[in-house]
Amino acid sequence: MENKEYLIHLLAEVSNYILERHPHRMVISLHQEADGMHLCVLDDCKRPDSELEAMSRALNTTARPELADYYGSMGGSDLLGTARLSLIGWQVKHADVSRIDDGTKIDLWLGSERFDASYFNIPTS
Amino acid sequence: MLAYEKKIYLLLGSCCLAMIALGIAIDGPLTSLQGWLRLQTHAARLINDFTVIGGTGGALLNAGLMGLICLLLTRLSGVALSGPTVAATCTILGFSLFGKTPLNALPVVLGVFLASRIAGKPFKSYILMALFGTALGPLVSYLVFETDLVGLPAIGLGLLGGIIAGCALPALAMAMLRMHEGFNLYNMGLTCGFLGLFAAAGLAGTGHNLTTDLVWNAQPALALRLLVPILCILFLIWGTVLDGRKLWRNLLAIFKMSGRLPSDFMATVSPGAALVNAGLLGLAGSVYLTIIGAACNGPVIGGLLTVMGFATFGKHPRNCWPVAVGVIGATLLFGKSLVAPGPVLALLFGTTLAPLAGEFGPLVGMAAGFVHLTLVERSAAWHGGLDLYNNGFAGGLTATLFVAIIQWLRSFKTGGPTTHRP
Repeated sequence: MENKEYLIHLLAEVSNYILERHPHRMVISLHQEADGMHLCVLDDCKRPDSELEAMSRALNTTARPELADYYGSMGGSDLLGTARLSLIGWQVKHADVSRIDDGTKIDLWLGSERFDASYFNIPTS
Repeated sequence: MLAYEKKIYLLLGSCCLAMIALGIAIDGPLTSLQGWLRLQTHAARLINDFTVIGGTGGALLNAGLMGLICLLLTRLSGVALSGPTVAATCTILGFSLFGKTPLNALPVVLGVFLASRIAGKPFKSYILMALFGTALGPLVSYLVFETDLVGLPAIGLGLLGGIIAGCALPALAMAMLRMHEGFNLYNMGLTCGFLGLFAAAGLAGTGHNLTTDLVWNAQPALALRLLVPILCILFLIWGTVLDGRKLWRNLLAIFKMSGRLPSDFMATVSPGAALVNAGLLGLAGSVYLTIIGAACNGPVIGGLLTVMGFATFGKHPRNCWPVAVGVIGATLLFGKSLVAPGPVLALLFGTTLAPLAGEFGPLVGMAAGFVHLTLVERSAAWHGGLDLYNNGFAGGLTATLFVAIIQWLRSFKTGGPTTHRP
């Protein structure tokens, strides 16, 4: 798979964020599409609207190339202290954060637009 | 361009022009120009107070010009003038009073530009490394003016040295960042210090002298003492006008942040509150220096301006005071003078460790400040004063030490890998 290191940093940072809430379940699904990649992360933590908004804001920041390439390299390796989704936000095309029945779903588009996120969900049993 | 950027350009551009005008007003245009030319050909390693070497006029002219060059590079590269670039501009403005000149800074910038070409990235991705990387300017000055070579070979060697150093900076900066995980605000200080160790070893190995000097203006002009407080008042007014009634709420939001890299207060909270934060920290530093009776010369103003710049990118009173208390405690415990160059600069620049206090509390911040002072007084000699951000170098090592210990403590408190083994 291309961009292995980039993906590992991305997966580690998003996992760091999710695991801070001590979920019982976490599912990470990576999809290689023809036009890029898509990452879907689900957990069973119910978050308030304010946190979902904050997550969405952090993941959909304005393009900051001067921060993305330099400080973005910390993503996934800064395991001390609180996780920071903004480190990911500078590096992805865009992101959707939504509430699902049992928890939260994060869709990260890493170039791909073809993936239909609605087909994917966390198993409930 | 973001909506607030024009106003920040106007503010910082005015500060640069005001410094140039002040310099010319103090020493006259001819003396200022002669002083500025003298700075271009003088050694720049730590600590060479440009207000002594080039006079107040020459030093202020140099600083103002460097600030304008920084703003121009930011604009041309197409990145936002926000927290990190404001921090870079203020830092360059300050360090151009004791080490940076256009001649020694631009080869390093060129080196980082070449690195961006090699990596196939736009220069704007590396602009922060280029701007902060000018801390290695003294390496260029040393190769041109302090080796046995003269004329074109010396200029060629300096240019080559600066370009090679600049080329190496991006790779090293990212690696250094992961060492302290963003808890040392002056990451390029650690990076340039690390590279400086190799440069100093190479130069010493070829028989060159790298003993550090101390050129320190003990009786600076009154205008220099007033410069930073006036700039702070300007920042306070500008910030208040920008934020209006939302100012206090935004300021409190900044104070709640840990300040860990990268914390762009301008983009994440508001540009107005970030400017007011800068004004408050600059004034606090100026009041402290006045109380202890420290000389307000080139390096000290450099420290104040750097603190102000980073008040838009990680520093605020709540995360700075513990580090400052730690530095003062170590200074008094070791029987040093509070007004001596080392402790004064360590107090100002030591706030590079502010994120440790912001994330882990004031006790950790105080301990970090204490350790920082003990280290920073030794570390300049290791790289022969080639890295102007010596406090960033020592701060990076201190932050790495604390991060490693805290990580280890947490690993066995929360159950590390070995406790999970079946």
